[in-house]
Amino acid sequence: MTDAGRQGFRHRQSAGRRIGRGLQFAGLGFALLWTLAPLYWMVATSLKTELEATQLDPTLFPHSITLQNYTGLAGGSLPFMQFFVNSVLTCLVAAIVAVVIAIPAAYALSRAKFRAASQVGYLILIVRMFPMVVLLAPLYLILLTTGLLDTHFGLIVGYTTFGLPFAVWMIKGFIDAVPIEIEEAARVDGYPRWQILLRIVVPLIYPGLITTGIFVLMEAWNNLIYPLTFITTLDKQTLPAALQLTFTGQFKTDWGGMMAASVVTTLPLMIAFFTVQRSMVRGLTAGSVTGT
Amino acid sequence: MADIRVAGVEKDYGALTVLHDCNLEIRDNEFIVLVGPSGSGKTTLLRLIAGLEPISRGDMYFDETRVNDLDVSDRDIAMVFQNYGLYPHMSVFENMAFSLRRRGLDRQQIDAKVRNAAELLNLSDYLQRRPKQLSGGQRQRVALGRAMVRDPEVFLLDEPLSNLDAQLRVQMRHEILRVHQRVKATAVYVTHDQVEAMTMGDRIVVMHQGRIQQVGTPEELYDQPCNRFVASFIGTPAMGFVAARRAGEGGLGTATGEVAISAAQAQRIGARGNLTIGIRPEHITLGEVAGQAQLSATVEMVEMLGAEQYVHCRLGPDEMLTARMPRTAGLRPDQKVTLSIDMDAVHLFDAETEAAL
Repeated sequence: MTDAGRQGFRHRQSAGRRIGRGLQFAGLGFALLWTLAPLYWMVATSLKTELEATQLDPTLFPHSITLQNYTGLAGGSLPFMQFFVNSVLTCLVAAIVAVVIAIPAAYALSRAKFRAASQVGYLILIVRMFPMVVLLAPLYLILLTTGLLDTHFGLIVGYTTFGLPFAVWMIKGFIDAVPIEIEEAARVDGYPRWQILLRIVVPLIYPGLITTGIFVLMEAWNNLIYPLTFITTLDKQTLPAALQLTFTGQFKTDWGGMMAASVVTTLPLMIAFFTVQRSMVRGLTAGSVTGT
Repeated sequence: MADIRVAGVEKDYGALTVLHDCNLEIRDNEFIVLVGPSGSGKTTLLRLIAGLEPISRGDMYFDETRVNDLDVSDRDIAMVFQNYGLYPHMSVFENMAFSLRRRGLDRQQIDAKVRNAAELLNLSDYLQRRPKQLSGGQRQRVALGRAMVRDPEVFLLDEPLSNLDAQLRVQMRHEILRVHQRVKATAVYVTHDQVEAMTMGDRIVVMHQGRIQQVGTPEELYDQPCNRFVASFIGTPAMGFVAARRAGEGGLGTATGEVAISAAQAQRIGARGNLTIGIRPEHITLGEVAGQAQLSATVEMVEMLGAEQYVHCRLGPDEMLTARMPRTAGLRPDQKVTLSIDMDAVHLFDAETEAAL
């Protein structure tokens, strides 16, 4: 190839690269818009007056910004703060319970050598393969017979049922990544298994536990069908169910109030997510760390 | 301190038996090295001694106590792992103090013991650091220190130097021996490096394919290997082997000529027809030497080591001999040479059973 030919080839190559890069950015921009648009719509609507929120020709930006929808949440007739507390309480306890129960289960699945270890592991996972609705009827009957229907404890049991298998498998992955020599060293140092689990394994997979807890929490937080089915008293309701029950009427939907409530519902999760973002990344990439 | 007795120990993993009929007596305060290639069963035997794996058959004794069913935490052993097994979330101090806390020692005792060990291992300046803030050599020393502070009856070391560079390995070898002299515990050391085994062990156990091949001092293993495997594994450069067959009363025929043997050697060979001659590099001289056997060969490669050189010579398609000799100018690959062999020093092996004669 001549010098000129080579130069032309390079030129074409760099032009091709530029187009490729442009397409990449266009794709990313579209994905970003796709993700953020509903969030923007939620925030924007929550700041609109009732008239503007419900007019037939919707506005992209609120003409006159109002916090009325937010103040309405705190001071209105609905026990919105109660819904919020209910959500925090049930989801947080469900996440903690799921992680605490999952730790020894995952440890046993990861380390103990018993004949049906892998079968037991898959059996646990089968629960996740059913759609949530399938478990609804049996869970309802169990809660009904145990007197836990319409109680937060019953709701926590429901959340944990679905979150636990996921937590076991996720934590098992983190424990698998802990080099066995570290545990053997602790055995040689004279520690029994349960202490090794608490004093060596748990501190080492701590970021992973946080990650798992957040995932279970998120799933419970966004769960609509369980609280709608298991809780019958409005005061005991969680946020998603309360949104559905209170803002949507037969003849009229309070879009502004609903969006303000949605913002308040989404915000804690986002804050939790960003706070533990670093440890989540560390948790999700735990396999690449060899423990030293 | 403890004697260790391994009596007919075997280990199965499912249907596969990885250790066969291991018998071994390790004396109190002895530094014994288990050596062998990968998959020879040396680490498995060490883990059985530690109690990290259950024994399938046979018995293990510490002094007169049968320890088969004794949990690892009750065996009073300390172990140094191949990749150290340090607790990443604890400081150097905490790593070393962890076992002492379990034993219920008070703070002053723990502090004194850890600082003593740290001083001996030059770790005093690093006590507050985490393992990831240390170099490989320092981590290795922490692992040693963690084992030392416990004053164990038995010290077990599983290839502790394999992750270090060559220079550091030599330094740490001395360090480990120094520590052993100081703590006076029975030590079992696993390595695949025969140089490490030769330089460190009071006695060496050579293992191959899950069986103990030979137990002896470094000199015994080098001078009187019990079979061809031990002969080839012990010594650097490795022993060379030449196939031979009986030719008359006092001679052996090889691919490149006949060599004479002594009456004692002839008696050892007996009626065997085929055998293998094992020749150490230092028993080969370049050129013709009166009274020694001559073999013709082609130089394949010359390894220059400074004061001396290794000359790798090819005798036939599958036969190589390595000669260790002082620096001599002018040896080139493909050069035809005559090698003189000191036949009094050679080793003879049965060609079929590979046992030494």
